[in-house]
Amino acid sequence: MRNVAIIGVGYTPVFVSKRKDVNIVEMISEAVDAAFRNTNLTPDDIDSITFGNMQTFEGLNLPHLWAADHISALGKPTIRISTGGTTGMSTLQAAYYQVASGLYDVVMAVTWEKQSEGDSQVGLAGIVMPEVMVMVQNGMDLFGGRGIGGMGGGSTGAASYQATSYLHHSGASPEHIDKMAALERTNASKNPYAHLRKATTVEDIQATPFISWPLRYGHTCPTSDGATVAIVVSEEKAAKLADQAAWINGVACCASDPTTANLIEGQITDPAEQQPARIAAEKAFAMAGIKNPRKEIDMAELYNGFAHQSLMWLEKLGLCKEGEAHKMLDKGALDIDGELPTNASGGVFSTNAIGASAMNRPAECALQIMRKIEGGHQIPKKVRNALAHGWGGLFQYVTVMIISDEPRKA
Amino acid sequence: MDRKVAIVGQAQTKHSEDTGMPRERMLFELVKGLFGQFGMTRHDIDTFVLCSNDFETGRTISNVFEDTPVGAYMKDETKVEADGAWAVMYAATRILSGIYDTALVVANSLGGSEFRPYLIMDYQLNPTYDRQLALINEPSAAAFQARSYMDKYGMTDAYLDMIAARLLRNAARNPNALRAKADATPEYVAGSEYLYEPLRKLHCYPFTDGACVLLLASGEKAKDLTDSPIWIKGLGDSIESYYLGERELFRSPSARLAAERAYKMAGISDPKGQIDVAEVSAKFTHQEPIICEALGLFPEGSGGEVAEKGLSEIDGDMPVCPSGGALGAYPFSAAGAIRVAECFRQLTGSAGEAQVANAGTAVAHGQDGFCAQHNAVIVLTVEEG
Repeated sequence: MRNVAIIGVGYTPVFVSKRKDVNIVEMISEAVDAAFRNTNLTPDDIDSITFGNMQTFEGLNLPHLWAADHISALGKPTIRISTGGTTGMSTLQAAYYQVASGLYDVVMAVTWEKQSEGDSQVGLAGIVMPEVMVMVQNGMDLFGGRGIGGMGGGSTGAASYQATSYLHHSGASPEHIDKMAALERTNASKNPYAHLRKATTVEDIQATPFISWPLRYGHTCPTSDGATVAIVVSEEKAAKLADQAAWINGVACCASDPTTANLIEGQITDPAEQQPARIAAEKAFAMAGIKNPRKEIDMAELYNGFAHQSLMWLEKLGLCKEGEAHKMLDKGALDIDGELPTNASGGVFSTNAIGASAMNRPAECALQIMRKIEGGHQIPKKVRNALAHGWGGLFQYVTVMIISDEPRKA
Repeated sequence: MDRKVAIVGQAQTKHSEDTGMPRERMLFELVKGLFGQFGMTRHDIDTFVLCSNDFETGRTISNVFEDTPVGAYMKDETKVEADGAWAVMYAATRILSGIYDTALVVANSLGGSEFRPYLIMDYQLNPTYDRQLALINEPSAAAFQARSYMDKYGMTDAYLDMIAARLLRNAARNPNALRAKADATPEYVAGSEYLYEPLRKLHCYPFTDGACVLLLASGEKAKDLTDSPIWIKGLGDSIESYYLGERELFRSPSARLAAERAYKMAGISDPKGQIDVAEVSAKFTHQEPIICEALGLFPEGSGGEVAEKGLSEIDGDMPVCPSGGALGAYPFSAAGAIRVAECFRQLTGSAGEAQVANAGTAVAHGQDGFCAQHNAVIVLTVEEG
């Protein structure tokens, strides 16, 4: 396969709850324009476009069709990818494969969500709604099955099962979740493209109410409007078009059964088990030639709708031993200037335009490697290998990318 | 590109108005059947590319419950949300990257028994203006396009009826078709009711439940799996404006660009001479000449003449849609994959009564959007080349 690099990223100027000043396609075009500005490329340089979001959040079917005129797609190959929370990274991976295969040299990945156009918790409940309707029609007991109960709290209700299980198995305490939340919110305060940008203390987090134990309001992500675009190119084009590049050296994705909504009692998979994370991470490490991830990975951008997940993913992805993540947190290893800076951007936990969320992870890794971070969250040490992670579906999809400062050796 | 990619096998449901079974079971049985043909298990598949639509399934993230029945759990899996032709192209792209040797495309829709496709297509519209005004919908926009072509080239309704009648006769030779009539005549088509003039019900695709599975493999792997792999030699796609008022609806520049890309990759310089059979996704009858002309199979504006002379019949100069095409069945997320699967059947000589003699090169087409805004073209050959 050919080597593939990210040469530039474009964000919408802000990620906020409601962009009332622009409509959907106008908002997406802001990020596309920013990507062109940041790379000094023009639409003519782009060979192909990959496009992703979750269409039920806006109630817009196949939105690439409407967006085509507004993202410089006319006359170009365009493919729409949608895989739930992982959509952003799945869309970037599609761009990766288009370049790696030799089909195209310069591909633009466009990801976005404008959640203010719809109701996100309705959109999320829509994942299991067909099953619930069939159960009602057949006179089945909706609340006897343990799986469905959690969905009563929207995604937080379901995530609380995961958090409880994680705390039980890892030995971490609820206070560790508070601490991770405060760390990431404070990181986000330095990131101009974060949504919740207020320096936050553990006490601030602990003052927020519980939604579903052990998860507090202060442990949950916002719903955001925003878009992120990345431009990926072949090795040959990288030399011609850009003075700096971040290399995509490992790519993997993995699915599992829908873990939280197996509606028949007794078939519930532990939502904190997350086997696909291990499978995907091992594959991505092997592809990138990383033998000892705990030593070789310099930073992590993890998909954490909820604050406990940053700790959980570090363990599941093999960046530390099981039960060790909260100890690393206590040591300060996860700080921006720590040994393994984790979600220096503030994570999904601070900014969640869902279709773009899993794209922001590798985008942040690439910008950290190129030392092009705007705001105050640039990691001081040299970053050689970064791990970007996406998560979605019914707690069931994981994507992983390894972004590095040098191309992989054949 | 030094790697090659081939289609090794396909399976389709018997397309229907209502499968009468849950989507998950439909997919499980279809995939299990295909694995059985090759003595494979799910562990022989390197990457699964699913293709379905959230609006049609009525579910956010339409693939969440599809992964288990198709065997994609604990496996590499992704989803294309567009027509199935893009899922086939993405699976081929993944194999060409050198990272995978086998890929399974699983595309499905229950557009017959669940939500009405015309309603779902309305949700493609700009929600502030176009959708609220409710002046256009999928068939009414298609009627504009039909009128545009017919006015431009002086084609009358009678020719539309001839094209539709040919497709319904072809569909009668396709065991999987939902709508078919072995003795369909133009008069029979003209007897159906108007939806939007000049389009009658029998000029439009039927609402269909159905699924299609394709097994793709890299060059060496394909030869291990079968004696008759069908090679994907070219692929391309292109999109044009969403705004109908900015388009010349009587022609399809995006289908032309898609074909140019695919032909260049496949080394096809003379589509008329080099292509033996075409399977195009014409959701409405008048789109068949528009797309065929964009693909260089017939001269511009020749729709009437082609129909009159029978040039696109199964034994004609350039057989188009021997399967009956979209008029026979159109499960919309799967439709483009079905066109590829039908080309595979033709090129492996397994198309039964619909078989085109000596077919060596085929072209498959898929589309999305109002008036075929987004088009994909895939060139398939028997020769490895």
